[in-house]
Amino acid sequence: MFGMEFYVDPSRCIGCQSCLKACEECDTHRGVSMINFDFIDREATIATAAYVCWHCDDPTCAQVCPADAIKKYDDGIVGSSLKPRCIGCSNCVLACPFGIPKLVPQYEQMMKCDMCYDRTSVGKRPMCATVCPSQALAYVTPETIAATRREKPVNTFWFGNQKITTKVYMMAPAGTPEIAIDVADYIWEGDHELVPQAF
Amino acid sequence: MSWFRKPSSTPLWRDEFPVFTADERYVSRRQFTKFLTLTSFSMMVGNLWILARSTLRRPATWPRVPVAAAGEIPVGGVRTFNYPAADDPCILVRTSAEEYVAYSQKCTHLSCAVYYEKAQNRLECPCHRGFFSIEDGSVLEGPPQRALPRVALEKTDGQLVAIRMEGGLV
Amino acid sequence: MAKTPGTLEELKTRFGPHLNYNPPGGWEKGSGETPEKLVKTHCCFCGQQCGIQLKVRGNRVTGFEPWEDFPFNRGMLCPKGVKRYLQGSHPDRLLHPLMRTDSGFRAAEWGEALDFTARRLRELQDNYGKDSVAVYGGASLTTEKAYLLGKFARVGLGTRHIDYNGRLCMVSAGTAYKGALGVDRAPNPWSDIAAAEVLMAIGANVGECAPITTDYIWRARDQGARLIVADPRFTPIARNSDLYLPVRPGTDLALLMGILHVIIRDKLTDAAFIEAHTTGFERTAESVGPWNPRRAAEVSGVAPEAIEKAAHMVGESRRAMILHARGLEHQSKGVENCEAVIAIALATGNIGREGAGPVMITGQGNGQGGREHGQKCDQLPGQRSLTDPAARQHVADVWGISPDDLPAPGYSAVEIMNAIHRGEIKGLLSICFNPLVSLPDADFTREALEKLEFFAVIDFFLSETAAHADVVLAGSLQEEEEGVTANVEARVIHIQKAVDPPGNARRDSEIICELAGRLGRGRYFPFREPREIFEELRRASQGGVADYHGITYEKIDRQKGVFWPCPTLDHPGTPRLFEDGRFFHADGKAHFMSLAWRDSGDPVDQDFPIYLTTGRVVSQYLSGTQTRRIGALVDQYPEPKLEIHPRLAAQHGIAPGDWVTVVSRRTEITLQAMVVRTIRPDTVFIPYHWPGSRSANRLTHRTLDPRSKIPEYKVSACRLQKAKAPGD
Repeated sequence: MFGMEFYVDPSRCIGCQSCLKACEECDTHRGVSMINFDFIDREATIATAAYVCWHCDDPTCAQVCPADAIKKYDDGIVGSSLKPRCIGCSNCVLACPFGIPKLVPQYEQMMKCDMCYDRTSVGKRPMCATVCPSQALAYVTPETIAATRREKPVNTFWFGNQKITTKVYMMAPAGTPEIAIDVADYIWEGDHELVPQAF
Repeated sequence: MSWFRKPSSTPLWRDEFPVFTADERYVSRRQFTKFLTLTSFSMMVGNLWILARSTLRRPATWPRVPVAAAGEIPVGGVRTFNYPAADDPCILVRTSAEEYVAYSQKCTHLSCAVYYEKAQNRLECPCHRGFFSIEDGSVLEGPPQRALPRVALEKTDGQLVAIRMEGGLV
Repeated sequence: MAKTPGTLEELKTRFGPHLNYNPPGGWEKGSGETPEKLVKTHCCFCGQQCGIQLKVRGNRVTGFEPWEDFPFNRGMLCPKGVKRYLQGSHPDRLLHPLMRTDSGFRAAEWGEALDFTARRLRELQDNYGKDSVAVYGGASLTTEKAYLLGKFARVGLGTRHIDYNGRLCMVSAGTAYKGALGVDRAPNPWSDIAAAEVLMAIGANVGECAPITTDYIWRARDQGARLIVADPRFTPIARNSDLYLPVRPGTDLALLMGILHVIIRDKLTDAAFIEAHTTGFERTAESVGPWNPRRAAEVSGVAPEAIEKAAHMVGESRRAMILHARGLEHQSKGVENCEAVIAIALATGNIGREGAGPVMITGQGNGQGGREHGQKCDQLPGQRSLTDPAARQHVADVWGISPDDLPAPGYSAVEIMNAIHRGEIKGLLSICFNPLVSLPDADFTREALEKLEFFAVIDFFLSETAAHADVVLAGSLQEEEEGVTANVEARVIHIQKAVDPPGNARRDSEIICELAGRLGRGRYFPFREPREIFEELRRASQGGVADYHGITYEKIDRQKGVFWPCPTLDHPGTPRLFEDGRFFHADGKAHFMSLAWRDSGDPVDQDFPIYLTTGRVVSQYLSGTQTRRIGALVDQYPEPKLEIHPRLAAQHGIAPGDWVTVVSRRTEITLQAMVVRTIRPDTVFIPYHWPGSRSANRLTHRTLDPRSKIPEYKVSACRLQKAKAPGD
């Protein structure tokens, strides 16, 4: 949007949670933070990761919603649930392969990152990527990413046989065209068309 | 319903409830309300336009149209004429030796032609039994709500001339 | 006396800390409305001084908006900066002066409170001498207020005892840099970090204590730079380090001397640079002669191969920068440690160029500006020395007094508290300092405070220290008074006033000038606005090392900050020092120092076999007076935990979440254990932002570095015992 895209690089994350704090300050969903933040395994490592919604090209959450409450807009953003329609059934919470949507009990609504739509729809940058002190969450032009980072943006993921392409990019080592995390996705099973090119 | 839809492998509900706003066919409440408002507004504009046209169509100066010679019409007699334009029918009545009155002939109810009923000394409309006073054209009875517009007359050199219409929209 | 009036529980109920979660007016209304104005200013917390815009509506700060055009942080903020605005409109905010009674504090009028304060200070001085009262300042004060306070102590009160909480922060680095290079300032602009080839972060938890610097380091790595991290804990930036050195607490000097030993041994020095621009190299070479990698390894716990590798990474690069912070400096060898860092930089010629130089990371908001203009016990404005006759003459002329009226240097912060404890100092005026939480050996501090005959505090919340005061004067938050600060790179920046102080609170500088007036010294404090103070500061600092003479508020706004020294109005400022190879000593050269090893002041032994180190978490700032009142920040890390390695935990039968009593030579506290592999197995860590029974500083000791007088927070000795949950 306005030439900029969203890039996630968890290896840069320092776990400061600035993204979580700033997220609830934007005007779309004041007071509720939509970042998914994890300590990977604090006993073993200080590694942390913060994620936003991946705004999939064919959003699973929207496809499984029985109330037609999740829409993908023309600029590619997948909105949070439409307030009058969401019935709090949690289909989307269960279906999303990235685990992004959350059922917020006090409103009985699904809420998720909408890339600070009040900001990005007018050319401003989303709160999380603006404040992130390590730029693990970055919202810049593709040219900037190409010029400044050695990792390459990837937006194709395999979850078993399901191929998902997203609007948000994950930074991955150069030469990684797609991201698959299931070993089965790497196995050669003959000339089966469902085997992804995940190597 | 299915015979109006092209054959397709995706189920009907996917068509009708698309995830992508770009594919939405059903009108949203907002769009419908917008439509209603715009239509209503344009109708109002249209009406205002018609009103403006009518108002502006009033001649800046009233024409002088001779109607009849002074003695031509007998007392209680009638002459129809057109004033101010050729498609505005009017009616002249000689009510006494000296007095003549003239009104628009279009009944103010639904524009039927009114006639002079000598016996009752009033103008009557045959369509819906509306009756107008001969003195000032006001409604005596019946469905008309407005008085007949009056045509002002002038007697000049023995000629009766219509000089102005009063009380009408036209 | 200075026991707390009423019980702690009663004070807490009335004055907090209470947690503020919501912007004024709540999330839905009020704060969501369009602000009346956006004020471009800076964060009130750490030395990064990130640019930020505050939303203002109806004389209240309702939120924030990133300031992407400010070049230092370009819109980035840490969680404290994001939530700082919740300090305004806070239920705990002091809205009027408070005076102590037997049963608690009562509200008072300004006239009464100021008169009482001045009278009591005068009485003490009349009875016991001028030096029986002391002044405590702070490094989050604007430079104007720091300057004003120094003048107030010396010209208003006439005492020699003024010092500040920066004594607990930058003084080791300051002494080392001043001694070696002639100036107390990070020599390079921060942009140089992104241009370096080799970065070493020693005793610097950048990810949690200077988060925005992380982006500079990552950008350097994007260009192929390599990162060395030396820390007893595996901190967040260490995850991307090329070399991690798990240095034993208090032994950084051994590690650094080992590195320098290898650099000299393997002829990685820049001999031409040493010859042309330095003196005394032989001293240093002799010092590190015995510190071969084996010996350094035995003392520091870092493998010899790693020491060799680090030495070669740094020594073979001519764009190497060594970043250091309190981990290195909070030691009784803090000055030596920094001298060793500077020695490595000088020996390899890694100074005075882009991507090359030693980097002190100033911790506090105005730690840099606040240590330049007289708030220190031995300092005059312009980073001048109080014992230098020429300096005394210059400043006395600006102040309109005789140089003989300027006192001699006084005690530093911990020494002041020691003097209070033994009864030598009987009165204290304190601002921007919470020593009960931030000084070592907290029980000693409490005893000292309770002995004070008179104690006045200027603050905006009732801190744990202020609860002991006789008078609390309701002061201003950072956004309520205009001024300048200097960030980590000595960029002087403009703090804008966004709102007026609420209720009957007043601007800090107004309070100090009023007090001076009531002490009969008002003619030396005619300032009505911070701008007027700044004008005098410009003259007072002129010709000094930290020369602000060429700086104006407008110039700062135009240039987005001005790096000092800036001697004249048409001078653009000095982002990088030593570019011409000249250092700030009279001989123009950098001075190498002798480095001598000695043990820490609280060594481990049979009874106290475990190293205790203390530090910070990203969601809290210093003593927590401000950040422990912000709900979202407290939720991020609510209670101090004991970080302990699984091996050490197993030895004591401690499982994650178990309560553990940590015993030091001072006293003991009980905390829950956080069992993690990201810390040395012979070391435990406690963050210090909490008071009372959870205060890490009840365990720390009062050994000071003999030259800088900084306390040795980073290494104490302790033992552990598994405990039941605490009663309180």
